[in-house]
Amino acid sequence: MARPASPATGPHRSDKRAELLLGALASVVLVLIAGMVVFVLAKAWPSFSHNGLAWFGSGGNVDTQLIDIFNSPANPDKYEYTFHAWPLLYATALVTLGAVIVGLTFALFAAIFIVEFAPNRLRAVLEPVVRLLAAVPSVIYGLIGILVLVPFVGNHLISQGRKESVAYVVQLSGNSLAVAVVILTVMITPIMIALIVDALRTVPRSWTEGAHALGANRWRVVWTIAVRAARPAIVGACVLATARALGEAIMLSMVSGSVGFAPNPLDGLTFFVEPVRPLAATIVDNAEGLSVKPLGQTLYAFAAVLLISSLFLSLGAWLVRQPMKRYGVRP
Amino acid sequence: MKSRLPLALAVMALAVAVPASTAAAKTTISMSGSTSVAPLAAKLAKGYLKAHPRSVSFRLAQGGSDVGVADVAAGRVSIGNSSRDPKGSDPGGLVWSRIARDAICIATNANNPVSGLTQAQVQAIFSGQVRNWNQVPGAGVSGPIDVVVRTAASGTQDAFQKIFMGSSKVSSSAAQKASNGLVAQSIRSDPNAVGYVSLAFTKGLNDARYKGVACNLRNAKSGQYEGVRNFWMVTRGRPAGASLKFIRWIQRSRAARRITATGWVPLH
Repeated sequence: MARPASPATGPHRSDKRAELLLGALASVVLVLIAGMVVFVLAKAWPSFSHNGLAWFGSGGNVDTQLIDIFNSPANPDKYEYTFHAWPLLYATALVTLGAVIVGLTFALFAAIFIVEFAPNRLRAVLEPVVRLLAAVPSVIYGLIGILVLVPFVGNHLISQGRKESVAYVVQLSGNSLAVAVVILTVMITPIMIALIVDALRTVPRSWTEGAHALGANRWRVVWTIAVRAARPAIVGACVLATARALGEAIMLSMVSGSVGFAPNPLDGLTFFVEPVRPLAATIVDNAEGLSVKPLGQTLYAFAAVLLISSLFLSLGAWLVRQPMKRYGVRP
Repeated sequence: MKSRLPLALAVMALAVAVPASTAAAKTTISMSGSTSVAPLAAKLAKGYLKAHPRSVSFRLAQGGSDVGVADVAAGRVSIGNSSRDPKGSDPGGLVWSRIARDAICIATNANNPVSGLTQAQVQAIFSGQVRNWNQVPGAGVSGPIDVVVRTAASGTQDAFQKIFMGSSKVSSSAAQKASNGLVAQSIRSDPNAVGYVSLAFTKGLNDARYKGVACNLRNAKSGQYEGVRNFWMVTRGRPAGASLKFIRWIQRSRAARRITATGWVPLH
């Protein structure tokens, strides 16, 4: 400290200070994440320990179970915890996978078009619009869904006969798997397009030029060289999109059905218009009851499942990417 | 780098601690809770500020009756708004002050002008015994009935169960919405829907008479309409200071009574 300030120590000291500050910020993030995982798991534990593996199974009606949990007696020894989350887990998987698969198909071809085939003028409009779309808040999509799409599907696409055929099992009002997947796809596709565009741009020019020189046509070059090289980034885009889809709550709570129902693929076309309610949407719908301890713990159990699945998602993506990295580029 | 980690953590702790210590100085009455009470609470707060300019400031959040009760029990707000009555599993030490009463209307789509329902009919429809509008006399549509209810934690749901349903249970295939507004929107967009909302949310819907009495303010005030529940402001311990003055003003002053009477049933 007593050292006289010299031109050599000045910048050095401020470097150290910056390092300290950035280190502190980085540790805030780490501590927050670790703290969050521990907190959520601790809160969720009673719900898991009471049900064991049956928590993930099916049985009974989830909504009735949630109501029973909500109406638990005041005595902590008599709290109701019985819960079988299968319809919600199944709904989460259906909606997320549906949206990511449809979205990836769209995003891949849209990105290829933007990077390789679009005329300059069109590209100059398309790219900013895509990036803008990626930033639209989900509640806006939810509003469009609830004011336009849900009534349209309910009143024009589902026939009276179809509604009556399942009236004793489930209500078909337009809040449905199909609407949820469509809107979720619209929400996540722009992010995927943006990421895949960035990745395709980083493919070294010499690789594609080499392929052109060997006589391959434009499409073949894109498909066999650029897309292949961009695979790690495409996986990364899918992971980000899946994470957003998994966590999407408000929009899905608005459009997807408000009832814990497991759509049956054997119902044919009706399957697509049956209501679903994914985990995150269930948390939003029941957040009112957080003050009732056992219900709060059950909701935290949903949160724990979502948290752990996104951790596994990142891990899975890392594993998948390893063999692709050899000839891959990373933006 | 390793040796510097504790220091880094200390800097971080400081960064977190500083914003927390800059708390407000002016008296603020913060409220959270029921979506049914919120419109009334907002009007009352505005009226109170007119009567006592610059005495306090208000902060109003929603979330549902149970959120209000939990928030006030934890000391996060000064007043929790609740549209359900106290129940056994509520945290101890809360004082419930009744501020008004409110009517719950059975509503259908405007294209389905069901004129009236008896209690037995309401129970049959909402419990899923009757599932087709053909079986409901006076219905303007045919086809399956789409029942729209509130989630379990809602004060409106609690009151509906107690007042209209008695011991019969709401069908498990009913769509459960998280707020009055979402229920109203579902009914507005689906001709086959039926649901229940607070009187303040019935615009654009058809309110069915219940037991032959129309769901409107006059019948609720006169006591003829039976589907009426209480609105509460909940405090931790007896209300004190600014909250006490505000709640007293709501319960006793004429101005507050006039405000309440525009859409709800005043106490006196």
